[in-house]
Amino acid sequence: MNTIRNGRLSDKQVGVLLILPGLAIFAAIILYPFVDAVLMSFTDRSMIYPDYKWVQFENYQKVFKDPYFTKTLTTTVLFVLGATVLPYVLGMFWAVVLNQGFRGSEFLRGVTLVNWIIPGTAIGFLWSWIFNGQYGILNNVLKALGILETGIPWLGQTNTALLCVIIARTWQMLPWYMAFLLGGLQSVSLEQVEAAHIDGANNLQTFFRVILPGMKQTAMLIFVLGLIGNLQHFDLPWTMAQGGPARATTTLSIEVYTTAFKNWNMGKAATVGTIWAVILACFSAVYLKLNNDENA
Amino acid sequence: MFQKTLAFRIFFWASLLLIGGFVFLPLLWMINTALKPTDLTFSSYFFTGPLTLDNIIHIVTDPKIMTYLKNSLWVSFGSSFMATLVAALAGYSFSKFRYRGRKFVMGMFMMSQAFPQAILLLAIYTMMNKAGLLGSYWALIISYVVFTLPVGTWTLKSYFDQIPDSLMESAKLDGAGNFRIMLQIIFPLAVPGMISIAIYGFVWSWNDLLYSMTLVTDTARRTLASGLVMTFLGEASTNWGYMMAASIVAAIPVTVIFVFLQRYFIQGLTSGAVKG
Repeated sequence: MNTIRNGRLSDKQVGVLLILPGLAIFAAIILYPFVDAVLMSFTDRSMIYPDYKWVQFENYQKVFKDPYFTKTLTTTVLFVLGATVLPYVLGMFWAVVLNQGFRGSEFLRGVTLVNWIIPGTAIGFLWSWIFNGQYGILNNVLKALGILETGIPWLGQTNTALLCVIIARTWQMLPWYMAFLLGGLQSVSLEQVEAAHIDGANNLQTFFRVILPGMKQTAMLIFVLGLIGNLQHFDLPWTMAQGGPARATTTLSIEVYTTAFKNWNMGKAATVGTIWAVILACFSAVYLKLNNDENA
Repeated sequence: MFQKTLAFRIFFWASLLLIGGFVFLPLLWMINTALKPTDLTFSSYFFTGPLTLDNIIHIVTDPKIMTYLKNSLWVSFGSSFMATLVAALAGYSFSKFRYRGRKFVMGMFMMSQAFPQAILLLAIYTMMNKAGLLGSYWALIISYVVFTLPVGTWTLKSYFDQIPDSLMESAKLDGAGNFRIMLQIIFPLAVPGMISIAIYGFVWSWNDLLYSMTLVTDTARRTLASGLVMTFLGEASTNWGYMMAASIVAAIPVTVIFVFLQRYFIQGLTSGAVKG
């Protein structure tokens, strides 16, 4: 568009005017809070006392010496990897099944997505109930099959709690991976697949040499997005175990929340949050790189 | 796509049964538990014993939970509407206008989902506290807009990109002003995109737990997600029948929206995430 005037405002001015509401909200809810939180990490700010002073890197030194912080990092890595790889693989299997286009496959695809659409709170309640140590259906089934003699408190013991949360997260996110991977599968050229079969490639060879490379961009983007989403995830570890037992399900997001809003230690929470932001930024950089490559 | 060898058939049926069971049985178990009479909550029958609506009725007649539901509706509609409007303005600006700093602002919007939400909360909480907004819906409504903004701006920008500039130029020659062109000619063409963004914003706001647990200090203003967590996680002995019934009540609005507007929804989902 050129510079035809409409009386008062030039096109440039209109363009800037239109962006202002979005920019204002972005500045107030993302930019300012982020800068403020990073600054907070250099103070001994707490919710309880209004006064605070600068402590330079004291918070960071404390956090890096804290053995609990190493544990939080390990838990986060285990959760992020488990809760991405598991639903990714199962979502791929499920996409391959639904891609066969049998009667009812469209319907199944739709119903699958319901798991993803419902609130995390409801999903957390549901899986707490399934894993319940006294009356949970999982224990009942395992007992009926003769695998267990007495019920296991799945969410109450440190060595199984995180796995339970990962399984619940898998259930929630499988549909999301499926939706994208199904789209990816459908974008692969059928001619190339046929050609591979004619050349004598079996199903597995075709999948790894033709189909997967054909949908490489989607497949990689979804994986990185999944990692980022899990690095941010809060709902399920909180509703199912509140980060416990004995911090077994305390990931970075749970740690920041409890430090800030249960112990009211804003300085320390901001420090953990800033370290977390750096980790997240690395993944986001990978995502942006992949996304740009695709658009280029 | 695959040759129907024996191995593939086995893979197909095993996946269909095992993954299908994993995907569908838990939700049915939720419904099943919600429909059992209280004294039979702990028995293992699967829709084959006595069923009742008592738990559901208990939940929908609980004034506290109905208040949470009403709050969730207000907050979700409010933020969804605001997000769609703001994203439409921004998307239109990015698509059809050229000015200094445009690329930079686009990049910033795109990055906004890469900031950890929990750390932003620390400062948002302090800020909203100072502004005296923690007791109202506004803290939540404004905060939720941000989550829809990047996806929304990009989706709508791609809609506007498809509209030829000549359409606007001829309207200009006919004497229409910038805002009339936008509201009467351009926006109506992007309505499907706006619907998918509105749904995305609604579902996000409806499902959020972290922000609603933190940014609302007044119990009477709590949304459903945090309200249910406060109600049930604080109890000494859990009533699983009520809990499952409450989960169903919380899941119904988003599920209904999804069932009726699935086409828009999947569009929003895919365009949002992959195009960044």
